[in-house]
Amino acid sequence: MAGMDGGSGGAVAPPSLPGAQLLKQGAEARVYRGRFLGKSTIVKERFPKRYRHPVLDEKLTKRRTAQEVRSILRCRKAGISAPVVYFVDYTTNCIFLEEITDSITIREHITSTQASGRSTETLYGLADRIGQILAKMHDEDVVHGDLTTSNMLLVGEEDGKPGKLVLIDFGLSYISALPEDKGVDMYVLEKAFLSTHPNTEALFQRLLKSYIAASKKAPAVIKKLDEVRLRGRKRSMVG
Amino acid sequence: GPLFFFLPQAGQMQLTQDLELFPDQSVTQLLFRDVKNCAELRKMLKVYLSLFPLLPKVVDLFQTLVAANKAVHLQKVGKMKTRSLYSEIIFSLSPTNNISEAFRRFGVSDSDSAVLVVLVHNKEDIFNKDDVTSKVDGQQIPADQISTLSDMAKIKKLYKVTPQEEKCGTVLDAAVLRMAAKEVV
Repeated sequence: MAGMDGGSGGAVAPPSLPGAQLLKQGAEARVYRGRFLGKSTIVKERFPKRYRHPVLDEKLTKRRTAQEVRSILRCRKAGISAPVVYFVDYTTNCIFLEEITDSITIREHITSTQASGRSTETLYGLADRIGQILAKMHDEDVVHGDLTTSNMLLVGEEDGKPGKLVLIDFGLSYISALPEDKGVDMYVLEKAFLSTHPNTEALFQRLLKSYIAASKKAPAVIKKLDEVRLRGRKRSMVG
Repeated sequence: GPLFFFLPQAGQMQLTQDLELFPDQSVTQLLFRDVKNCAELRKMLKVYLSLFPLLPKVVDLFQTLVAANKAVHLQKVGKMKTRSLYSEIIFSLSPTNNISEAFRRFGVSDSDSAVLVVLVHNKEDIFNKDDVTSKVDGQQIPADQISTLSDMAKIKKLYKVTPQEEKCGTVLDAAVLRMAAKEVV
């Protein structure tokens, strides 16, 4: 389809931050790394999408930027680690975030544990912690929107000493109290988890168990999760 | 006999930093303690609003640097909420969108004895320290010693830092996040 260029937004504009290095070109945003006010910083730039009506596009982009900042604030206030927002440029929809250094993704951690031949049971403690954190996040009515094992970081994990879990990439997040939305959030994670990490059904069950134990609101979410599993992520099969 | 000057290990008397987004601009911060003319400085701030802001409610110089960056940005895009760059820095420090509240809480009060001066200047300009030090009746100390003068309990209250939040980050993190997020709450 003409004009449907996958959201590249035409020519790549130079980042507003001198010396910034492009890390990721996504469908929604470009992610850069650079130095900002003397700190290692991630810059997330939501670019205009040419296939959308400009007025609608600007509105949607602004809303997404605001929702990302709002979700991070809610999480941190509740004690859930997420990158600090340093600065938001609402004229270009750029978010300047703390770079989480010396970290590995949960994805890398699970993959390397499996590759080293260790039993997934050694990851049960981690699964428990992920379940607890997601329960806390949902209790704050934050729906992440893109839960994967790549969007969870482990900082300072050493043998025998558990590291800090940090949630990242709130680009598709929003505030909602609906069990349906939280159920879909968990469904997205389940899909991503099981397809990224083979033979981890028991590990994911462990995560869910911990999620259920940690939140009074969990039963309603799990009920929705069961429904969503049967019909898929979309509420309607039309379109 | 010979005179020996022992410079503080940690840093210089004043700290000058770049604003990466505005390559021709720099921010210099100077810190004073035992200031005796706060009431006078406050009047000066009112009359010559663009002179310098006096901010004793700061936990770290990064907090004021972030506020200065935001103020310069809003000035460049024509979206300042206050009348001058320096009042905008004070407003940017506040976690709320109420301007008079921001000045009441983050401006200097007559009883303050510590003063932080934040100057935004052209990078090429030769910075004349005497322009500032001659106006402040107090003792200049290395700017990065700000945390020794900040009132933690007061700052936590100003930014409504929750105890849970302190488990995942510092008070500085909490303050900076609220400053960045105040437009969307």
